[in-house]
Amino acid sequence: MRQNNHSEIEINSLINSIDAISPECTLEQVAGLFSEHKYEKLLSLPVVENGRPVGVISRYRFMDIYLKRYARELHGKRPIRDFLNDKPLLVELDQPLAVAAQHIAANMKYPLTEDFIITRHGDYIGVGFVMDLLNTMEVQMRANTRDLEQANARLKSSQLALVQSEKMASLGQMVAGIAHEINTPLGYVQNNVAVGQALFQQVQSMIAGYEALADTLLDEQATEAGIAALMQQISAFRHDMNAREMLGEMNGLMEDSLYGIAQISELVLNLKNFSRMDAAATEAVSLNDCIESALNIGRNVLKDKVDVVRELGDLPRITCAPSQLNQVFLNLFTNAAQAMEGQGRLSIRSWSVDNSVYVSVADNGKGIPEKILSRIFDPFFTTKAVGEGTGLGLAISHQIIAKHGGQIRVESQVGEGTRFEIRLPIEPPKAMHQPAEPEAAV
Amino acid sequence: MSKPTLLLVDDEERILRSLRMLFFGGYQVRMTTDPREAIGILRDERVHVIVSDQRMPVMQGSELLRHAREVSPATMRILLTGYSDLDASIASVNEGEVFRYLMKPWDAEEVKNVVAEAAAIAEASFTVQPHAHDAATSAAKPRVLIMDNDEATARAVHETLSDRCEIIWAADAQHAMEELAKQDVSVVVSDLMMGKTNVGYILKTIKQLNPRTQCIIVTSFNDTSRLIELINQAQITRFLPKPLSKGLLARNLESMLERFDALRNQPELQKRQTVAPISDPQEKINSGNFLGLLGRLRARISV
Repeated sequence: MRQNNHSEIEINSLINSIDAISPECTLEQVAGLFSEHKYEKLLSLPVVENGRPVGVISRYRFMDIYLKRYARELHGKRPIRDFLNDKPLLVELDQPLAVAAQHIAANMKYPLTEDFIITRHGDYIGVGFVMDLLNTMEVQMRANTRDLEQANARLKSSQLALVQSEKMASLGQMVAGIAHEINTPLGYVQNNVAVGQALFQQVQSMIAGYEALADTLLDEQATEAGIAALMQQISAFRHDMNAREMLGEMNGLMEDSLYGIAQISELVLNLKNFSRMDAAATEAVSLNDCIESALNIGRNVLKDKVDVVRELGDLPRITCAPSQLNQVFLNLFTNAAQAMEGQGRLSIRSWSVDNSVYVSVADNGKGIPEKILSRIFDPFFTTKAVGEGTGLGLAISHQIIAKHGGQIRVESQVGEGTRFEIRLPIEPPKAMHQPAEPEAAV
Repeated sequence: MSKPTLLLVDDEERILRSLRMLFFGGYQVRMTTDPREAIGILRDERVHVIVSDQRMPVMQGSELLRHAREVSPATMRILLTGYSDLDASIASVNEGEVFRYLMKPWDAEEVKNVVAEAAAIAEASFTVQPHAHDAATSAAKPRVLIMDNDEATARAVHETLSDRCEIIWAADAQHAMEELAKQDVSVVVSDLMMGKTNVGYILKTIKQLNPRTQCIIVTSFNDTSRLIELINQAQITRFLPKPLSKGLLARNLESMLERFDALRNQPELQKRQTVAPISDPQEKINSGNFLGLLGRLRARISV
């Protein structure tokens, strides 16, 4: 992981330059030192001989000895050498902070009565306070935690991006399919309107012609020639267009247009049902509805090559995120269609036992070889060509089912087909009652 | 003159009824939802124009149009589809050799005009007698222009044709335009991009320089909408994916060289590859500039 500035804090910053005392220093002298202002922060005095630390005498230990009755008289003149702790906490200056901290944590005694000694190549250079060290460590740990949190957030957002890209890929396929489904009715509806418009104009001029003729016939001053001209005009119209037949045909086209518009509306409704943009993220639905919704959306992929056999049982409603489950089913259906060479069969069954709802999706496609069967739920595992699939479809499906507290299993026989079985609990885990995470919505 | 015959094929009857009304009066309209029946009609009747859907249950439109080429070569082929996937558009070039690739929903006026144009061209094609291949007239060495900065393409063409043809390799757009200006070219083998230059406008201008020139696209670039544009506005005759398969290249070079020859003998058939006007405004300008440059160059050469 990237090095953070805080982790580069050195032992250096912990040094307090304290004049060390000699081991020959008497207990009485030490008593004087401990009461001096400059030593008031110290828990212990460093004892150094020939530049090397030989021990520490802590205030705690000193008091223990010195406050006993007659201690001053008995021990006052004795050198501190006799009383010191000759195994002080030692830290080398160029040690990494974490190593030093570890060493101190492992060796320090409770209650905390001593400071640690900082050396350079074994020579005394100063005293460090354990509390300073702990504070520094805490600052550093906080920084590390922040780093970790950031790394975690980055990881999460890149995973989000991947999930997003998978969704875009399947959405892209879906949209292309839906576009075709919409373009067909749109094609004839638009053409019918254009044709109808042209016909309408023709009929308008024809009616104008007839009206002019009728007016002229009623006009006493009309001439034979005038009437003949109008008659000729009308006859030309009638030659140009077979009004009766065309209007009859147009009638049929109007009906077709209404049918086409109904089709487009239905497609839009299917899309809406599938995405459930306008519904609550979680609600109680029947999985059969999710299956139907996914079949509607996948119709374009399925219709020419797959016979869909439904055996949908009576299911209790379950509280779930329908848009996510729609996505799971669509993914299974389109995978099945892609696994088929030529015409195939897709059997969808649903049933309910005890506290669970089951859906089985079986195809008679080419099957999945055993050696990759265990990997199909792995993220990025794909058998498709680069650019055709992200390898996330089943991984995401797996994740969605797991979030719902359910399981997805697969069994496959090469050459025979593949069967997925999904089990979902009727009572979902507590987390499901909360609004679904936005990332998971289609 | 009797009305031209128009054959409409779509698995959606409402599309057929709608189109029949659009062509009411002007054409003898035949229609079917079954591509196999369509092949029968093409065999039994003189059909000027076939307009087919691409995605149909029993047979893809491009496959139907391939049959149409064999059964009734004079019939002009138009694909009308709501689903523009790359495979379909490549197949429509290579197998269907379509005159136009049109999208649903369509513009009624545009489709009417395209069909009228196609019907007139077909009418002229019916009267053309199959011409015996005349070796004497094709004595001149055909010229093949490679427009690609990828050396592999040049090498593949060289290996295929060796010294049967005069082969020119242009690795940038400027050089390509100069070569096109100098002399007529039989076959152009071109990528869609030369370095960073999109050479679409050059390809779209080629038919105006010489309607006989045949254009083979070799590319790894996969953009369906641009391909459809090139079908309609450049009448590219083949679309081969990169990396190039040598066998495929050889076969297609061969048939395109033959077609170039055939068109010399039967200039009436050149009209079958009439291009649609360039739609992109910038490409229109580039094409105009290119033609202007060409005029000046040719004037200088002929002096």
